[in-house]
Amino acid sequence: MKTLRIPIFAVALIAELLLIACAPAALPTAAPPTAASAQPTSAPAQPTSAPAQPTTAAQPTSAPSGGGTIKIGGGFALTGDESVLDLPAANGAKLAAKEINAAGGINGQMIDFIVHDSQYKMDVTAQVCKQFVEEDKVVAVVGFTDTDSVLACGPVIQAAGLPFVTAGATSPKIPSQVGDKMFLACFGDNVQASAGAEFAAQKFGKNAYLLWDKGVEYTTLLAGYFKSRFTDSDIGGKIVLEDSYDDKATDFSAQITKLKALPQQPDFYYVAAMPYNVGTVVKQMRDAGITGPIVGGDGYDDPSWVAAVGNASNNVYFSTHALNDATAGSDAYKKFFNAYKAEYGHDPENAFAALGYDAVYLMADAIKRAGSTDPNAITKALRETKDFPGITGSITFGASQVPQKGVTIISLVDGKYTLGAQLVPQKVAAP
Amino acid sequence: MDLRRVIGWLVAIVILAAGLALLEFSGQAVWQGFAVNVGLFIILTVSLNLSNGFTGVFSLGQIGFMALGAYISAILTLPLAVKHEYLPNLPAWLAGVHFDFMVGAFPLGYLLAMLIAGVLVACVALLVGLVLMRLSGHFVAVATLGFLVIVRVVLFNADNFTRGSRTFSNVTPYTDLWWVWAWAVITIYVVWRLKFSSYGRAMFAQSQDRVAAQAIGITFMQPRLLAFVVSAFFTAIAGALYAHFITSFSPTVFYFDLTFRVVVMLVIGGMGSVTGSVLGAVLVLSLAEVLRRIEDVNQLYGMSLLILAVIFILIIIFRREGIMGSREIDLGNLFVKGGRKESSVESRQSSVERITE
Repeated sequence: MKTLRIPIFAVALIAELLLIACAPAALPTAAPPTAASAQPTSAPAQPTSAPAQPTTAAQPTSAPSGGGTIKIGGGFALTGDESVLDLPAANGAKLAAKEINAAGGINGQMIDFIVHDSQYKMDVTAQVCKQFVEEDKVVAVVGFTDTDSVLACGPVIQAAGLPFVTAGATSPKIPSQVGDKMFLACFGDNVQASAGAEFAAQKFGKNAYLLWDKGVEYTTLLAGYFKSRFTDSDIGGKIVLEDSYDDKATDFSAQITKLKALPQQPDFYYVAAMPYNVGTVVKQMRDAGITGPIVGGDGYDDPSWVAAVGNASNNVYFSTHALNDATAGSDAYKKFFNAYKAEYGHDPENAFAALGYDAVYLMADAIKRAGSTDPNAITKALRETKDFPGITGSITFGASQVPQKGVTIISLVDGKYTLGAQLVPQKVAAP
Repeated sequence: MDLRRVIGWLVAIVILAAGLALLEFSGQAVWQGFAVNVGLFIILTVSLNLSNGFTGVFSLGQIGFMALGAYISAILTLPLAVKHEYLPNLPAWLAGVHFDFMVGAFPLGYLLAMLIAGVLVACVALLVGLVLMRLSGHFVAVATLGFLVIVRVVLFNADNFTRGSRTFSNVTPYTDLWWVWAWAVITIYVVWRLKFSSYGRAMFAQSQDRVAAQAIGITFMQPRLLAFVVSAFFTAIAGALYAHFITSFSPTVFYFDLTFRVVVMLVIGGMGSVTGSVLGAVLVLSLAEVLRRIEDVNQLYGMSLLILAVIFILIIIFRREGIMGSREIDLGNLFVKGGRKESSVESRQSSVERITE
């Protein structure tokens, strides 16, 4: 076979030319508008930018709010492992921005919602956030449903002085790790674990089995908060056995064997699992003859595993942000559900779509109350948020950047999501 | 040493320094971040080339060393207050250690922590290599992959030291352009000198034909161990640089995804060529960034990964040896007129490859 002699310098040269051509924002003095014309402006009409403009072109001025639009950055992992949660969140967020613009924008200005894909790679996430600050010149950032991405991006946004609202990263430690401009649109894991503990203790009993995925921060923390709340004096629960598994495991027979060897089965089983493991764990437990109630966190909120395991999903309960159902949800939720379906052609995949929607509306509400696009004013307005009517629950910030929010407990009956309970935990485990 | 080559290196370094100064002065954090990424992956790819390309041992465990380097250096440089809050269960001798001291504006503690991490990881590599470097072919690939998994599990379970699965964050962001590229230059220099030395020739010899090499007295363990350990040292340095750049990480970061990113850069650049590794890293990252921006504007998410995968397949089919094969761009020739052509071993190797094709 004839070997191709690729001229190396030609390759390098072409790559560098492409790089320069496609990144007009990098040239400090070159005329950005003319370079921007090389951008494919014939991109499919983006639903969020009502005044059509190439979204990655640099503004000639440095004022972030110049030009009558409010630039908000949306960072999401649209490809990669987390995309099952981030993609619906991004869709919900874009829908919210579109709705706000259709209703006249914020204080008369339209939102330019700029979405970048972080590919669920941490170095790309950091790059994307630097891009938001420097090239897109946003005034605020919304995004991500996992703690690792928020921590990779947070310091950059915090250092730039911009407010950052995460749609779905539930670790309550995030604000202390990132800074005072970091807000959560979702409840913290300590809240949902406490709600789960109170609900299960009251409904099932005081003896529990605890299993968690030790390869991921979210599940480790969730299990810890559950244990701390459940064994608290006012509930007085007892963990008869606790166990853990590796994130990439597919066979849980070791843990199940230990569980079955117990002299008496506990009242319920609290399993902190990621969406990609839940189905396997539940199925294997049911196949081994464990019929008791299984309780978990919002990692269970993904209809695909429910369909896959069939009857095994009965008697499973989990805490999440909202009941993602067109018929059983609140009126506001139904409106969102139908709007999402009209926009994207399919139902919202899970409650994270609603979280993305709420995060943008929350940010817009703060900007409206602030009356300006100054990042400090927006941050102050966010902090003062009280009883904001999100479709995933009412949001009040108060002293903490983690909202006080109600928790929805979903019970799975015949493969359908039904409302188990809606409660605000009486006491919350310390973060 | 050939004067022309010295001058060639110096000119290259001066041009690099000028470029970096320009980038730093421009204040464009996005492109500075991109340049840091490029530098990091150059270190990773060149180290991987040393352990894989030169010796013919296809190790997939390199990122395990990166993880160890990142964690060790981050644990060492955490300031005391943060350390007590973050890692409350550290043993006493470690809990009081905090390499966050500066000498003037220079973070000496960071440098020391990095070097300590590098040396410790090199020791680990020595132990691991003594066991694994006697394997070849598929076996060593799987065994080193096993090492990667072991490192990940150990990091998860040693949560008193590493916080387990919880993200290790609030690391001080010491890393900047100069740190990364200084280490990149050092890595390239060391690996280059190794290649054109008797050690390097021993590595290539035993990878080409182990029996013939042994017949003339070249063992296989020593060159392989040397390559493995030196590569682990620089990979650990890259890990420390990464940790203090992104400032937050967890064991999940240092796993298959990162491994295969580096392998792709290595193969595209050419195994056995230092300049190939540099070019491979630069090209793949540049292409990934260009494609990322295109796909962002057009909302064709995932396109960049597809295209990179297709390019990788095409390279494997049509030009298996990568862009550079095992040739080098001699800096002596590049910048100074009339330098002598690069000799012997490599061109003869590539001609042998063509004959046996």
